Order: sequence, then structure tokens, then C-alpha cells
Amino acid sequence: MRCTERPDNFESQRKQLEAMSDEELHALFWDLAEKIVDPLIEEARTHTTPSIERSVLLRMGFSSIEAAGLVAQMGERQLLERGAGRLVFELAQAKDITLREAGCGLLDGRYWEELQA
Amino acid sequence: MKLAPDQKLDIREVLKDLEHYRPKRKGWTWRVRREDQQIGPFIYRNTSETLKNSIPLPSAHNFGDIDPQCDFVITTEIASGRFEDDLRRMRMAAWHGADHIMVIRTTGQSHIDGLIEGTPEGVGGVPITRKQIRASRKTLDAIEEEVGRPINFHSYVSGLAGPEIAVLFAEEGVNGAHQDPQYNVLYRDINMHRSFVDAAEAKKVMADAGILQLDGAHNANATAKEAWKATPELFVQHAVNTAYSRAAGMPPEQIALSTVPPTAPPAPKMRLDLPYAIALREMFEGYKFRAQQNTRYMEANTQEATITHVFDTLISRLTRTDVQSTITPDEGRNIPWHFNSIAGVNTARQTLMSTDGLGDLLAIRENDSLRQQVREFKERAVLFLEEIMEQGGYYASVAAGQFVDSGHYPERKADGIARDPKRGDGAGSVIQRRPDYGAPVCSHFGNNAYAVTGKRPCEAYGGCTLCDPAKIRYIDEVDPTDNVEKRLEQPRAEREVGLLRPEVEKHGDGVVCVTLFVPARQRLAEAAALEMAKHMRLENPEVISCRLMHPAEGSVFEIRGILDTAVRLEDLPVHIHKEALPDTEIESWVRPRHIHVVAATVGEDEHSVGLREILDIKHGGIEKYGFHCNYIGTSVPLERVLEVAQTTGAQAVLISTIVTHAGVHKQNMLRLHELAAERGLRSRLILIAGGTLVTDDFARECGLDAGFGRGTKGRDVASFLVEKLRAAETE
Repeated sequence: MRCTERPDNFESQRKQLEAMSDEELHALFWDLAEKIVDPLIEEARTHTTPSIERSVLLRMGFSSIEAAGLVAQMGERQLLERGAGRLVFELAQAKDITLREAGCGLLDGRYWEELQA
Repeated sequence: MKLAPDQKLDIREVLKDLEHYRPKRKGWTWRVRREDQQIGPFIYRNTSETLKNSIPLPSAHNFGDIDPQCDFVITTEIASGRFEDDLRRMRMAAWHGADHIMVIRTTGQSHIDGLIEGTPEGVGGVPITRKQIRASRKTLDAIEEEVGRPINFHSYVSGLAGPEIAVLFAEEGVNGAHQDPQYNVLYRDINMHRSFVDAAEAKKVMADAGILQLDGAHNANATAKEAWKATPELFVQHAVNTAYSRAAGMPPEQIALSTVPPTAPPAPKMRLDLPYAIALREMFEGYKFRAQQNTRYMEANTQEATITHVFDTLISRLTRTDVQSTITPDEGRNIPWHFNSIAGVNTARQTLMSTDGLGDLLAIRENDSLRQQVREFKERAVLFLEEIMEQGGYYASVAAGQFVDSGHYPERKADGIARDPKRGDGAGSVIQRRPDYGAPVCSHFGNNAYAVTGKRPCEAYGGCTLCDPAKIRYIDEVDPTDNVEKRLEQPRAEREVGLLRPEVEKHGDGVVCVTLFVPARQRLAEAAALEMAKHMRLENPEVISCRLMHPAEGSVFEIRGILDTAVRLEDLPVHIHKEALPDTEIESWVRPRHIHVVAATVGEDEHSVGLREILDIKHGGIEKYGFHCNYIGTSVPLERVLEVAQTTGAQAVLISTIVTHAGVHKQNMLRLHELAAERGLRSRLILIAGGTLVTDDFARECGLDAGFGRGTKGRDVASFLVEKLRAAETE
């Protein structure tokens, strides 16, 4: 619900905090902060994004241009939920080729049927 | 690559073999602190190791050219748009004591969904690419050898490509970065789910690479209508990013709060900002503090900005700070000019040296009034957090417009920035991981089939780029027209034929600034000032600062314009190029000859410091070579100088003439020559004048043998005397 105008009611609002020691107030502050980020970090733990997947491929030795091409095509095929890195790694293992051969092969239009299997 | 202090940075050398360059080290470095360190005549309480090469504060020559380095890391921000020009600015800043180089990104990079490559030119910053970063790190690696202190290189891990940029930074040895998903959401309208999911990965990568993280809360200060009212939210923004970073695996010593004293004079700055700084440091005990200087209340007046920044820095000294960042004093009027960025660095170090050991003398008075103020900051922040929970969490509260409201929370003006969790750049791009999701790389956050305890996820294929940098794929250039080689064509050509142009930002941009006072009412005066600038042949003159002195009596203007003139090195007077003779050569010639010189400050002039430095042995003056110096004082009549010269059999006369009212320095020089001629002494006396507004040409026009201006050392004068006397001897 959109926030509406409100006068500075600090004096009445602070009544609930008044009795707390500084330590208690600090503890409450950090407890609230952690509660606020809990669902956000849980989402991060269980989700991914094109940028994360490209960053994985960078780490696996692909250039930014190659990573962008691979992730875009995997995204179009709804494959990213398994992880771009995993797809390339498993393909390389299955074909007994290097990671780069697997990734560059995909960029050349090969192997896609095997990924979808 | 090795730099020589008397040689310009060679960009060709920087670009050479860049494909194979690896950074010397990774991760953030703090200064090595030294307690009770003796430097020159003083014992310092809050200094760190001194530098091998540096440029001290202007007054340092009075104290034996000491250049104590404070205990805080000092930041300079760099944003020319061309990395090749940035590199020169970095080098100058490092010589002035900056060891945290923050490179601003080009406008709009946040919205690019991926990395860019090559060396395109940027606006208000450089496009962050692997090549530009690697070239910058390579240069900084050489600069840190030159100055003798590690330099932290910093940029931004934000926007749509955060995880990729974090990996790039980890690979290329970037040491510090801004990372705060709230910045994306509030100020860049990037989808909030995307921002936070990306941020966890980016933070994990940064954490493992030892990169110091700065948050983005200072933006709330810079954009608030009344910045001191944004303080409750600032606590909250710091807390959200800090808690999120911890959850993503970042240790507290890598988490720095980016904090700014909110106000500026004429607000009662210290009374408002100091309790805020204290409250923040109490609440965030255990984290690092990066203190930024105020930008919110910067106007075009650089002096005013500088004074505000002195007080910002004083707050840092009175509380606790790890990194003191600087704002160039001209940010309120143009994209920072390089020498102004360095002026900002000097503001910080001058303030921090002035306040060395202040904690031994002063303590903040812990009375009820202070405690009440501190407590209020904290309580307002807690109330803000509680309302986020009541709204249904962070996303719901942003959607409701709880952030960036101009009210003093819990007051609300209902003008906050509201963002829809389903919209924004990158909306719909977040994908749920399947249970078998995997990423066979290090520094990956979240569910991962390859995350097995005791094993690196990349082991099966011999290591990811973070373990084996040889696997990094380097792209050189992608745009045949917009690249560094193209941009360097003109500067290289000009340098080869020996052309020099003035500049403030980019190589030879020709920009100059003139100061004019015009004695008329403001609008008229401004029109007149611009007209005068045109008479000075300044192209596109523009008033960048105007300060009213009196409604009727006049105003002072600073006007920038382009001086489209190049000077040829070969046209410059030859003696400017001349190097002074080596010390040993001077001394071996002078000492056996017992040469007497007479020296005085002449006319009605009590300045003695400059001349004493030219003479005195303890300042490296000419006495050390064996000259017999007869210094006869200040405000000495010219007649008296010549009398003493005659009686002592002096071969040279050195006069100092500092006062210049009504051209009195010119009169002194002319008269000295005339008097010596009248008395028949001219041919056997070398006559030399020195002073801040004396030049060699000017002195020669007045009939003297030489003139020495600002920055002259005893060796320059001694060298001139030896050459002149030696020539006379051989004639």
C-alpha cells in the first residue's frame, strides 16, 4: 500500500523503545535487519539470472562474447534452470571433449539436441 | 613496466603485451600504521609509512620537505571518460598521497546486460572493460613501485551485469568496489529480484577475492531534499546491505559503510553531523567506515566546498574512519578537472596532518544532550525497520514508496521512490534453480550440485579462472573507430613535433580558467566578463562561478574557455631547458676560489624566507658549495647593497624583491642595474634578482644577469653563478 503523508510522530512511536538499553536497541536493529534480508537471500540461494550464468561461463574460460551467446541461446531454450556451467561441463564429459570445445561447439550450432535430452 | 619520475607515462608501454599481464596482487591493502613516528622535527601520533616519491604540502619546505602520510587510506575519484588520461591523473594523485583510486563508470553502464570490451570513450567516466581495467591495474602496479606504497584500485559492481563485473574484478586484481543492490533498485530502476539475486553472487565473488565493499547509502544523502532528514533511512540502507552481505558470506572486515556528513555550513554542521557519525559507528561496530565528503550542498564555489570538506574530514578524525574519500572541489560546476581532484586529496591530507594526535587532547563530551541525539538517530532507524516488516518485507516497502521520502522518518511527505517488484530493467529474468542445478566454479553462491565439502567445484576440469588465470579470455578491441589507438593519434603526433597545450581533463583539451573581478552590478558585470574573455581569445567562454561582492560594487567570476593555442617546445627560451650542474661540479669549482656574494631583501620589504633558503646551508642553499655569503637583512636600500659588495669584494649580488605593488619589484631591478653602472661596478658584478613574481626574462629586460622565480633551489643559483664566472675566467 502506497505510503501516505504522516506528521513526525516520533515521540509517540518511540514509547515502545524508550525502556530499552542501547545494547537491546542495537540487538533489535540487527534482528530486524536480518529478518528483512532472510527472504531475499533465500531467493538468491534458489534462483539464478543470465548475469550469474554468464559469470559462471567466464570463470570456466569463455570470453564475455562467448558467454553472452551461450546464455542467450540457453535462455531461449529454457535450459538455464540447470545452470549454464553444468550444461557445458556435462556435455564436455559426455563427448570427452574440452570445455571450450563443448561451448564453442554449441556456439556453432552443434550438440543442442543432446542438451535438451 | 618501470616508471622514472622525470619521464611521462608512456601509454604504448602500458598497452604492450597487455594480453599476458597479470596483477601483482589481489585484495585490499591498508596503510602500515606507525605510532609515535619521528618525521623531520616532529613526532606524529597518527601516521603510516612514508613514501619513496611524493609531492609534499606546499608549506613543507619550511619543515625540511617532510611529507608525513596519515593513517587513513585516501581516495580520489577519477572520471575523465578516457582511461589513457585517467592513468596520468592516477599517477599525479598517488604522488599527492592518494592510495585508493576510484574509477567512475560511464553513464548508462548499469543498464548494459553484459560486459563490454575494448577501449571505447565514456561520458562522466570510463566504460569498464577488461582491457581498460587491466591497463589501469598494470599502470597502478608501476605507480605503486614509484611511490612506494600499494594502491587500491576501485570501481563499481552494480547494474545488470554485477556478477560478471565481480568476476572480472576478481580476475584482474581490482581491490575495492561499490556493491549495493538497493542502488540498482532505487536509483537505476533495475528490477529488485534481479538486483538482489545478482548481488549475492557478486558479493560472494568479492568476498573470496578480498575486495573491500562499499555500500551505496551515500546516494540517499546526495539526492535528499534536506539531507539531514534522510539519516534514519541511511541507517536502514547500510543495515540492509550489510546484513545481506554477511548472509552472502562476506566477512565484516571487507564491509565498509559509505557514509557522508549530511550537512554543510551555514547549517550548524558539527552539531548535527557529529552525533550522527557517532550513532552510526556505535550501531555498526566491527565494520569499516569509508567517509565521503559532502556533495549535496556543493555549489560552484570551490573555496566553500573545500572548507566544508575540511570539516567533513575533521569528523572522520574525531570519530573513526578507515578510508577518507575526497570530492574534487569543482564537482559542483563541471566534470572534475585533474588538478582539482588532486586539490581534494590535499584537503584531506592537510586536515588529517593538522589533526594528528588530536585524540590525545580532545574527547567528545559525553553529556545528556549528545546521548539524546545519538539515541534518537538509532530509534528512528529501528522504527523504519519495523515498518518495513509491517509492510510485508523489503520488496513491499519499496513498492509502497517507503524509501527516499523527504520526511524526517517517521514523518512522511509521501514523495518517496516507489518501484514495482514486477517491473524495472531486467524484470522477469530471474530463473528458479532446479534441484540438479550446478555451477562448476569457485566463489559461487547458493544451491550448487558441485558444492561438495573439501573439494573445489572446478577440480574436475583443472580449475576455473580464479584458480588458473591462464584460462582468462582476453578480448582486445571490438570497435575499429572508438578505441585508444585512434584517440592517441593526435596527442602522439603533437608530442613528436613538440607541441604543448593546456589541459584540465583530457590530453591537450585546451581548457583554461581565468578569474575576473568586474566592478559593476552582477548581470552587467557577467556580460562584461564574458566579453573580456573573448578578448583574451578564449573560445566558448562560460561563467563557471560567480560570487557577488556587492550589489553595486561588483562581482568576481571564474570563466572557463578553450585556448586553442599550442606552444612549440623549440620556441621556448633555451635556458628553461637547461639543467643545473651537478653538486660535485659546482662545489669543486667554487670552494678553492673563495667567492663572496652579497644578499639582501631590498626596498620596503620584510620577506626573508625565500632568500635565506637560497643561501643557508641547512636548506641546501649556496653556502654548501663554499660561497661566502654576506646576508645583510631586509628592507635594505640598493645603495647599501652595492656599498657592501664593494667593501667585501663580492663578485655577485643577490637581491630578493617580493613586494610588487605599483611595480616596485621592476623598479628595484632597473635601479640596481643603473646604480651599479653609475658606480662603475656593473662589469665586475653579477646581478641576480629573485622573488615570487620575478622571471628570468623579466630580470634580463631590467638589465640584470638573471632572475629566479618560484621553486628555485640554491643549486639553480649556484649553477648559474659557476657557469657565468667560469665563462668570464676563460675569456
